[in-house]
Amino acid sequence: MFQMHKFEEPLKTDLEELLGRFQRTNSVRYEDFSSIWRDMHFDEIFYGTKNQLEQSEFSRMALSAATPYFLPPYSFQIRVGGLYMLYALYHTQRSFPPRRIRMALKDWGDVQAFTQDALNSQHHDVLYILHQLLTIKAFRFTAMQVPLTFSRDQKPVIPEAEVVAEQSSRPKKLVTTEMLEEMANIHEHYKQLKTSVSAKHPEASLNLVRQNLVPKLFNAVVDFSTWQNSQMAGDKDGQPASYEEEPSTSSSLNQQMESSKRAELLASIKSRSYGQVVEVTKSRRHRQGEVCGDTTAGPCEDPGPQLDPARVSLLRRRRRQLNSLKCRTLSCLNETGKQTFLHTFYTVLCLGV
Amino acid sequence: MAESSADETGGENIPRFEPNYLNSQVIHVESFRKLWLDALPPDLYSYETNPEEVEDAKLAELLELPIETLNELKDICSVNSLRSHPDDSPVDQNVVPSDPKLACLRLRKRRQDYRETLVRDTIGRHENYSNELESAHKGLLPEDPTSVIPEGEIILSFNIIYPVIFDRFKHVRAHQTLQVLGSQKLTELRDAICCVGDLQVFGEFSNIPDATPQYISKDHFKSAFFYFEGVFYNDMRYPECRDISETIREWAKTHGFPEYKTAKMEDTTFYELRMKIGYPYYYCHQGDCEHVMVLTDIRLIHPDDCRDRTLYPLLTHKHRVITRKCCVCHLYISRWITTNDRLAPMDPCLFCDKCFRMFHYDAKGNKLYDFQAYVYVDPGVFN
Repeated sequence: MFQMHKFEEPLKTDLEELLGRFQRTNSVRYEDFSSIWRDMHFDEIFYGTKNQLEQSEFSRMALSAATPYFLPPYSFQIRVGGLYMLYALYHTQRSFPPRRIRMALKDWGDVQAFTQDALNSQHHDVLYILHQLLTIKAFRFTAMQVPLTFSRDQKPVIPEAEVVAEQSSRPKKLVTTEMLEEMANIHEHYKQLKTSVSAKHPEASLNLVRQNLVPKLFNAVVDFSTWQNSQMAGDKDGQPASYEEEPSTSSSLNQQMESSKRAELLASIKSRSYGQVVEVTKSRRHRQGEVCGDTTAGPCEDPGPQLDPARVSLLRRRRRQLNSLKCRTLSCLNETGKQTFLHTFYTVLCLGV
Repeated sequence: MAESSADETGGENIPRFEPNYLNSQVIHVESFRKLWLDALPPDLYSYETNPEEVEDAKLAELLELPIETLNELKDICSVNSLRSHPDDSPVDQNVVPSDPKLACLRLRKRRQDYRETLVRDTIGRHENYSNELESAHKGLLPEDPTSVIPEGEIILSFNIIYPVIFDRFKHVRAHQTLQVLGSQKLTELRDAICCVGDLQVFGEFSNIPDATPQYISKDHFKSAFFYFEGVFYNDMRYPECRDISETIREWAKTHGFPEYKTAKMEDTTFYELRMKIGYPYYYCHQGDCEHVMVLTDIRLIHPDDCRDRTLYPLLTHKHRVITRKCCVCHLYISRWITTNDRLAPMDPCLFCDKCFRMFHYDAKGNKLYDFQAYVYVDPGVFN
């Protein structure tokens, strides 16, 4: 009705800008957050929503867009920012009765761990605000973060940060020390069995298996992770990459590194994919893609599956077509003068007849 | 197990996404409720809000802070700190501020500016009342204190989709949303689902238009079933009810499907169900009136929700259908449908009651010519 889904992208941009500025303060104090909030006039985000339905719908979207920042895998500082953001959005929303924040069962354990972290490091404002939200019953305790409708327009809600964080460590997860030990043991056992069974030529039957399987596997994983590190470092213009480090809640310096790295990563991904042009198919030769000079002028896209260059060029093409036929005709009129245009028009008409 | 916490007791009942990211894994509703109740201290899901002093004292104890420091903290974290406009210069919140810096506001401003250029404002009254159903029962308390829903009850929201496909609007899933309590029986949901299929009257009545029987098909054909996760739940409350899922099960048996179970709808509460959230299930009544239904949400009851047990299952959303008007007056909703009607403009043709009688019968109520007439129930009757 109001095409509310179009607000999703800009909403995300706004929230990320707010969080980004909060991150640069390197603090978890509420005063810093609220001064940024006031400075950005963020409470105005609910202004201009006319009727109740639009208000409540927009509140729902804003709260559900802000909730992921309060949860892992974001670092402690971002999560504090996310909590403040929820508090602020909840209290400035215009819908009445206020929209509640949805809390999924699987996230509740994380929230409790977060509370414990804050308690251990004596962040009183964080605890106060969380307590305040719980007291006024701002949370709804639900099964999933969003209601699910199995709609065919519904995009899968893949948490983006999770994808980024997990992919790097997947081979490592698979090949753990215990697994390697287990494997070595099994290998030993197998060898012994083989030698005991075939007394004559134990070497012949043992040759069927690789002798140094475990060290080889270990080396492969180490090689892969060093290669991955160097790739990551290459992305960030030679900055030392420390992606393997676990984000620890204790040292705040590390977190800021972690989070600003992500922004840099986004920027580098963006610049790379906008910087190259793809060969288009033969039928589209007349519409070759071009490189825009300004990287920031591109459409704000998530880094993810959408970022393949073909799609970027498609987007650019679509943007170029924004002018309607009427618009283009009128501009043509202005350029060439009315007489010439009419003349061509008549000629075309006559030819057509 | 891939999930780290799945090996804990009851870990499989914590709803998580399936790999398609569209629906959750199968969960048992009762165990899900237990998990939430175990995880939460009771005052977080109770209806009452503790007075502020009590909560403050609690927090001060937790943080090991004196009350004065807490009050200081309160001042710093007050809601007033979020206002970017001072109190003495109020702004109109219905208008987007000029020169907005936020991306959302820029978009809204563009829309607002566009709307102002329109000659005729297209916003109708219906938008003001469109969430009427949803907000009608917010926080409603029952008159009879015995019918208050106990705290920590589970509310399930079902989207029941109409068995129609709008060709031009395939992205609209016409549905109604019903909220039921976990302790309710499946039959209570079945009775609350309103579908025109239940209201049809069978028979041809052109000779006796005044003698239409009062029995609708809901009274004649009482069988119905739900299908959730491999189990057919049949409605067997009346002696004339039959297991109409039998045909499907027979067919499935000959086509290599696993054996499906059956259960009685009236013996099953929602707590006993094992379901996926967001996964399409199936409701069939009148033999072949088939509805896809989706369990969209399960949550603990909140003080905002209607607390009157007697009002559940609660209708919270209803798709509005355009009613079909009489082809003569174009004013009233049709009640009759005729076929083989040589004077009608089309075949079949819809009439309201008044026009139908004036057109087809003389003053004494005699039929003027030969045609067939049937009772027509408009899908928009529930609007």
